[in-house]
Amino acid sequence: MLHDFLYHDPGSMADALSFLREHGEESTVFSGGTDLFVAIRAGLTMPQHVVDLKGIDELHSLSWSDAEGLSIGACVTVNDLVESAIVREKFPVLYAAGSELATFQLRNRATVIGNIVTASPCGDMSSPLLVHGGQVVLSSAAGERKMPLGEFITGVKRTLIRSDEIVSRIVVPADWAGAAGGYEKLKRIKGHDLGVVAVAMIKSSAGFRVAISSAAPTPLLLPDFSPTATEEEIRKTAQEMITPIDDVRATAEYRAYMVDVYIRRLMKSLEGNT
Amino acid sequence: MKTVHFTINGETYRREVAEHKTLLHFLREDLGYTGTKEGCGAGECGACTIILNGKAVNSCLVLAAEADGSVIETIEGEASGNTLTEIQQAFDRNHAVQCGFCTAGMVMTVKDLFRRNAHPTRPEVIEGIEGNFCRCTGYEQIIEAVLDAAEHGAAEEISARDAGTTKEVSDA
Repeated sequence: MLHDFLYHDPGSMADALSFLREHGEESTVFSGGTDLFVAIRAGLTMPQHVVDLKGIDELHSLSWSDAEGLSIGACVTVNDLVESAIVREKFPVLYAAGSELATFQLRNRATVIGNIVTASPCGDMSSPLLVHGGQVVLSSAAGERKMPLGEFITGVKRTLIRSDEIVSRIVVPADWAGAAGGYEKLKRIKGHDLGVVAVAMIKSSAGFRVAISSAAPTPLLLPDFSPTATEEEIRKTAQEMITPIDDVRATAEYRAYMVDVYIRRLMKSLEGNT
Repeated sequence: MKTVHFTINGETYRREVAEHKTLLHFLREDLGYTGTKEGCGAGECGACTIILNGKAVNSCLVLAAEADGSVIETIEGEASGNTLTEIQQAFDRNHAVQCGFCTAGMVMTVKDLFRRNAHPTRPEVIEGIEGNFCRCTGYEQIIEAVLDAAEHGAAEEISARDAGTTKEVSDA
């Protein structure tokens, strides 16, 4: 049973943002609800208002332009993402991670941006968007601001979003589009599971980019590596930067070890790609 | 309270619903569609799977208010009187039902799978039912049932029903 909140379904961005300007502190916005209603049910959050974004047409947009790159609207589901031909062609690491996220039913509802705003260290969308330099676009009645995803997520379930704001879209720049990539995720079972640890890696003529989930309070983007970077250099940097913990799913030692395994595995799988 | 309109298994409803009520509880408690089960209530087990606007979803994580204007399919829309669908007959033949608690969600998930993939391979079946837990069968009988249902034309039966003609009618 859920507590007694009020449901709102604004039909435009202007209506949603003016509502949040007045009631943002007591509201939670949502689209898929796959995290929100679990949290409400568990008593972890008790908003007075829940604001459904799905009635706002522009937030359903998933589009590509050579100038801007890929734009993912707030209501784009994970299945919308993995079914997109442009994503499969230009962002194989996003496709791979999206396909690993939860179950088919949940992917029909869960949104890419919801996974980011939830800011879980194990969120499957974070690392692939980090390696591609994803930029978060925050909209409010006062205007728009844009920041790198790495700055937006500040801690476990913490971000820089204000109560009057909506993450209206994420922009994935075109510069690394088409890069070969892979996503390795450790799970406890073969079926769907939260990631115990995960590594996303892309490679192009510009070099390597690597991000790691579930090995620090936030998903972690390593510094860019040159095309001539050695496996040892990337492995060493990763081990220096991660701060994994022991928890119910794995020990810190196991996580650190598997990060190393996955980096070697991804380097090998990307050999020959530029 | 919010006024909502739905079509459930072809029947149209207009109801007042509490804004914090899940679609699952609305179906079960307000409308009496108790075929859909609540397992975990947190989107893990798939017992509450229904088809909402052509997509399989966990109804425990959808508000009834959100589903205003939607087309809903539940397990009650499957069998016609005592005539089971091909999926249901295959579950029966292959002993894919023990306690039955997961079955309603499982059948709806498989129906959705057949709409996207008429003849799934064994790995595709396994992946397709990944979001539905069964604590009795060990899954083997369910996987066999899905493969068997495909061979018996379950996907074709679903397309025929979607086209508005039942299999019986088209055979006649």
